[in-house]
Order: sequence, then C-alpha cells, then structure tokens
Amino acid sequence: MDPLFSKYLLNKYLQTTKYLTGENISFQNKRPMLKINILKVSSIILIVLQISCVQQKKRENIIVASAGKVESLDPAQANTLRTIQILSSLGDTLYRIDKEGNLTPVLAKGLPRVSTDGLSIDIQLKENISFHDGNPFNAKAMKFSINRFIKIGTLNYLLNDKIKNIEVKDEYLLRIKLKKPSSSIKSLLTSVNLTPVSPNSYLNYKDNFNNKSFVGTGPYFLESFSSNQQRIKPFPNYWGKKPLNKGIDFINYRNSSTLFGAIKTKEVDVLISNSIDDMQRVALNNMVKKGKLNEGEGDPIQIGFITFKSSTLPLANKKIREALSFTIDRELISKQVSFGTRKPLRSIVPPQLFKKKISPWPSYNPNLARTLLKEEGYCKENILTIPLTFRSNVPADKLLALTWKEQIKRDLSDCISINLNGIESTTVYKQLSEGAFEAVILDWTGSYPDPEAYLTPLLSCNEINNNTCLKGEAVFSGSFWGNNQVQQLLEESEQLEGKNRLNTLIKIEKLAAKGSSYMPVWIVKPKAWSLKNISKPEFSKDGLIILKNLQRK
Amino acid sequence: MLWMISSLIFIFLRIAPGDPVDAILGTRANEFARESLRIKLGLDKPLVNQYFEYLNNLIHGNLGISLNTQEPVKIIISKALPASLELAIFAILIASLLGYLIGFLGAVKPEGKIDFIGRIFGISTYALPPFWAAMLIQIIFAVLLGWLPIGGRLPPGMSAPPVLTGFLLLDSIFNKNIEIFFSSFKHLILPSFTLGILLSGIFSRTLRLNLEEILKKDYIEAAKSRGINDSRILVKHALPNTLLPVLTITGLTVSSLIGGALLIEITFSWPGIALALQEAINQRDYTVVQGIVVTISSIVVMISIGIDIVIAYIDPRVSY
Repeated sequence: MDPLFSKYLLNKYLQTTKYLTGENISFQNKRPMLKINILKVSSIILIVLQISCVQQKKRENIIVASAGKVESLDPAQANTLRTIQILSSLGDTLYRIDKEGNLTPVLAKGLPRVSTDGLSIDIQLKENISFHDGNPFNAKAMKFSINRFIKIGTLNYLLNDKIKNIEVKDEYLLRIKLKKPSSSIKSLLTSVNLTPVSPNSYLNYKDNFNNKSFVGTGPYFLESFSSNQQRIKPFPNYWGKKPLNKGIDFINYRNSSTLFGAIKTKEVDVLISNSIDDMQRVALNNMVKKGKLNEGEGDPIQIGFITFKSSTLPLANKKIREALSFTIDRELISKQVSFGTRKPLRSIVPPQLFKKKISPWPSYNPNLARTLLKEEGYCKENILTIPLTFRSNVPADKLLALTWKEQIKRDLSDCISINLNGIESTTVYKQLSEGAFEAVILDWTGSYPDPEAYLTPLLSCNEINNNTCLKGEAVFSGSFWGNNQVQQLLEESEQLEGKNRLNTLIKIEKLAAKGSSYMPVWIVKPKAWSLKNISKPEFSKDGLIILKNLQRK
Repeated sequence: MLWMISSLIFIFLRIAPGDPVDAILGTRANEFARESLRIKLGLDKPLVNQYFEYLNNLIHGNLGISLNTQEPVKIIISKALPASLELAIFAILIASLLGYLIGFLGAVKPEGKIDFIGRIFGISTYALPPFWAAMLIQIIFAVLLGWLPIGGRLPPGMSAPPVLTGFLLLDSIFNKNIEIFFSSFKHLILPSFTLGILLSGIFSRTLRLNLEEILKKDYIEAAKSRGINDSRILVKHALPNTLLPVLTITGLTVSSLIGGALLIEITFSWPGIALALQEAINQRDYTVVQGIVVTISSIVVMISIGIDIVIAYIDPRVSY
C-alpha cells in the first residue's frame, strides 16, 4: 500500500475519533460513549478493509493457486504436478509434443537423427541460448544435465535401462548412445525431468538435489522461493517468445474449499484443478457458464483404475478378474462421484495418445459377470468377497469405492460382496509391491505424453513365472500380472516408429484388457480457471498450463 | 518425561508402515538409488545405533536434517512455530475475554437470561466440530461477505518482512511496514476468532462452575453476613479463588493449541507447526516428526511447570 495513502487513512481515523470523543459532543450519560466506541471500532474495520481493496488493485504479477507445497525445484527430483508446472516455465526441454501430437524441437535445432542400427541418436542443439546465470547452453551442459538425472533422478529408472552413454561431438552436437534401440527415448526427451540446468550453478549439486533454486534457460527466472510461495519473472534475455505477463506468483492453499473460495473472492487470478473436489469443480463450471470465470482444459492425462492382485487366489483366477471387469457401471460412477466431470474410461492409455479412440475393456454387463462367476462356482451360497482398498486421503477414491460397493449390492449381491478398507496413500504405495492389497484404487499420470509412459509402468515385467510377475514394474503397481507376449511386444515397440509402433502398443493394451489385472474407471482432464480480466488458460499436450501465455487484460 | 516422549516417537515412527525412501524417491526407484539414499540418510545403520545417535544429537540441541528437503529441522520449526504461537496467543486472548466474561456474568446471576444463553453458547461451541465451524466461518466471512481473507498469513504475492521474531505482526512493526502489519492482522482475524470462539465455551463453563461452587462456600456466606456488598464479595473474595482451575485450563489450552490446531491450520492454510507435523508424517520424514514432537512436548512441559510455579505463588496452601 502507498505509505501516503496509509498516512491519510490514519489521519482520517484520528480526526474522526478526536471529533467524536472530543469537544464536539457533550456526554449526558454512558450510552453515547458506547455509540462512540462502536464508531471507533467500525472506523478501524473500515480502514482495514480499505487497505485490502487498495492491495487488490495494485496486483502486477498473475497469482496462480493450487494445492500442495513445493519442497524442491530440482528437475531431477520433480514428481508433483505443481513442481513440474513451475519447472516448465523456468526451463526448456530439448523437445515438446505439439498440439497434433508430434515431436517438435525446443532447445534442439531439429528432430533427433537415429543411426541405422538404432543405437545412437544425434541431437543438434540451438545456438546463442544462455542460462539465467549468463552461461551458454551447449552440448556439455545438456550432457551434464542428463547424466545428473541418470545418477540422482528419482525417476532415473526411465533412462537407466536405455542409455549407455552420452558424448559431446561438438559444441552443439550431442550423441546419445543406447544399450538397445528405443523409440520411446524421443518422447522421454520431452520430459521436464530432463530440463537442462547450468553446470556452473550446479557444480556443488552434481550428486545431490538443489532444492531451493533453479538455473535453466526458460522464459522465466526464479525470483524468490519458499515452499508456500514461488515468484517467477520474465527472463529478459530469453531466446524464444517472451511471456505476455509481468510475472507469476505461485501460491498454495491446503484444501479444496479454500482454493475455491480464493478464486471466488478474486484473491487469486488462476486456479489449477489438482486437488479441487468434484463438488467445487461443478460449482466452478457453473461460474464459467454464468460468465464469471474463464476455463481452460487440456487433454486428459490422469487415469483412475482398480488394480487386482493376480498372484494369489481368488483373483489369480483370470475368469474372476474378467467377471469383475463386467461389474462396474462407469457411467453411474462418473455421475455419482464426479457429476460427470471424470469421464468413463475403458482403456489404460488416454485415448488421444493413440490418436484414435480404443476401448479394449468391456462395458458394464452384470449378467455376463454372473454367468462367469457361476462357471467358477460362485453365486447363491458361495459369495465372492473382494477386499477393496482405497486411499483414505483421496476423496474421489472413497466415493468410487462406496459407489461401486453399493452398485454391486444392487446388481450382484448374490455373487459378490465388497469389503472396504481405507488406508492413507503413503502406506498404500509402500505396501503395493509387497502384495498387501487384493484390489486397490489408484491413479496414474504418465511422465510424458506417450502410450509407453502408461503401458510400461503398469505392465512391464523382468521376470515372469506362470503369468505372475516376480520382478518389474507390474510388481510396483501391485498387479503382479506378467505376460510374455506383452513383454515381447513392449520390446518390439522400442524398435518401431510411427503407426507400426502405435499399433503394437494397441495390441499390448488389448492383451492387458484380456488379462484383466487392471480395471480402468475414469479419466481426468486437467483444468484451470481464471478471472475474467485474465486470459483463458491454455494447456500444452502434457497437461501443463502455458504460463507465458497468461495475460492480464 | 521428554526422554520418554522422544523414545516413544522414535519407536512408533519406525514401527509405522511407510518408508521415507519411498516418500522421497517413489516406490519405483531402482535398488541402487534406494540403497544410496538409505546410506546417505543414515537409515542403513542398526536401529539401536540410530536411536543413540538421535538421543546424543537431541541432548546437544541438534534436531537433525529433514530427510525430505535436507533443511535443518530447527529452521523448519523456527518458521512454523511462530505462526502457531501467534495464532494460539490471539485465540486464547479472544477465548479468555469472551469465555470468562460469559462465565462470570452467568455465575453472577445464575438461571438468568445471560446465564441461560451463556450455557447454550458454552455447550454449542464445545460440541461444534472445529473443521465444520471453521469452514462455515470461512464461507460466511471470506467467501460470501468478502470481509476478510480466506487463508494464509499474508495476501497472495505479498512477501513477508525480514524475519526477526517470526511473528508477522511484530516483524512488520520492527520493519515499520504498516501494509504488512494490517494485512497479517486481517489474515489472523478469522482463524483466531474461530479458534477463540470454539475454546471460549470451555473457558466460560470452567469459570461459571467454579464460581458457582465458590459462591456456596461458608466464607462467602460469612462475608455476606458481615454486610459486604455482592460485587465486592464477587471480585475480592470469590474470583481470586477460582483462579487456580482457570489458570490451569488456560495454560493447558495454550499448550494443546501449539500442536493441536491442525484442523484450523488446514482450513485456513495457516502454515503452523501442526500442519508441518502432518506433512512430515505423510512424508515419513522421521527427523522432522521427531523434532516437532520433542519441541511441542518441551513447550507443554515448560508451560505446565510455569503454571505450577504461578499456582504455588498465588495459593499459599500449595507447596512443592
């Protein structure tokens, strides 16, 4: 607030109270005194409220709110949407996926050149790009960043099995040598986790995380950082298209109702949809319809599903898993749980990543489910009991569990009974690979917009014994489902490109649907709402808001 | 007592399911990365060694480093504790003013209108679920009326003044920043009023019941028979004797508020110590949880000792 204005307000207040308490009023009894005190209190409240009005008018940066603290801005450690969102503005990646779903160079000069044997990839880098600390961006810096991620990155398992080594061929030419041909590596190069950082600024952070600062090449630089609030400002020497705003303040509120209230009261300019409860999403959508807010939405990237542990009975029986996949009424659940904001899904890959809609999982058919269960000796007196675990700190999971339970009670009470068990998410993740849950509700967002980012983490397995995965991603995802054909196709897909690759990945998904170790339920579109004086939020293909396009009108 | 608490928290955290390595790296990290981090964090050592190292550090005032952020636990606590204290102090002030006033007026004229309303108020505020009351107050005063900010300690985008005490009100005064002072005061109103109102019920009931009991005592009757007027009896004879339970309740409430205002802190996004503790538990950040629990316990113990000393000072019958 302007100090002169605050002085003015204080003077006004003093004059008022002096006038009211001083020579102008003669007191006959105690009642006028009470009135004067009320007036005093009211004037203080008025001053305080006035100050708040002045503050809102002076806002220069765009305030973007979401849930969750940011503990680290190190791309090697980034794994929350909020962190990735900020990093996407502070740094650039080698490539990005454009709106048509094609690989587009960002820091690279052109598309990667793959050798004929598929074991080496050459990437020519753009020149005359500098980091926020003034140092030049070149192949050495890129090599440093990728090696650093391979060494300490929390998601380094994505690269470790693929990259043999990285060579600097000349100042702006990088060569990535692969252990085996890998077509998914190109999509991996779009990952925010591989955002290059300045080697000079990260000299002391080669082997450990640099949590509180970030020095990259992006359109913004980090002005201030705390876990609750981060401020970024346009980088004056940015090589690309300059931001349309004067800076962004990221703030976090702890719960959905506070976030909702914050945009409703115009305390914040933009609200990101992560952690907004479905009830409030509906209310926000209504505000959009009434023309009170702008709404932007991206391609759906988060899938919600139920994992069935296929290593022990009864769910080791494929027919029972198959029967279960007929039992869920996705339409009903979508309406009951999310008022239709979460769309029913019958695949484990967001459909747009295949560039066509495929739904290999069966639709709701309780009669078929009953027939299958009867064939396995269930129904009438022998009721199949499924313990269903949900993450107690995720409201949508709880509602999904309750709704499915009631729906089963309505349709198949003579065959199936569901016992619910709520466990806090940290414990769920820990016990998932230990095989603690027969059926558990989970969600997944791929690290990059490619079908492989969904299929590999859910299906890949390094050691299979009789359709049970003993070692690999399928263990970490809690399904323990292993299929040799799936593994073979996953490996094959790494050597394919374009349509052939996509068709192979579709085959994999169809096999997964037959295996029925997962039951996809819904898909969630990332959304953001902005005030009317702010431009409509735009999303990139990987579900992040393009912050530099936000503009105060 | 402190040794017991610190030992128990150490044991409970190790028994609880969940692993800090998982929380930091995710469950899909490879074995090499997991083992390296385990070694780096000292989690590979035998539990007994970890325990004695922890006790040794504690004795020397070293609360360790956060497993998650690598930030010293002392710093994390020094950021969060003043926020909680600021909230607790204001809440207690409001609760005391409101609660004791209602309790006093009720006891002065038992079964009167004020007493009746006061009792209803006391029971209602005691029975209200804190999160529900907080959300309701937030919706009415912040969202619908728009009089006060919805949450946080400062408006979005406003930077805090240089830290001197961690109390925003004090720091803004020391830095002569009237804008931050008013802003932080505004942000303090809703959470402290909510907490204050919720606590005032206990305060009013405590004072009223004790005062009512004391007013039935023989020495009050004796005072009345000596012709001393009612207000003098109330203020000079009855009220001082209700001080002991009132002081105890107030002290214990302050200590419980420091770590126990979690629901209010969550609703109003107040970055206090209870919220920090909850986040650390979710992250299985052993060192932060241990540090916060030990700090809160120390404060509770200190306040309890302080109350005992004050009681011994004002009541000659009490001796230790």
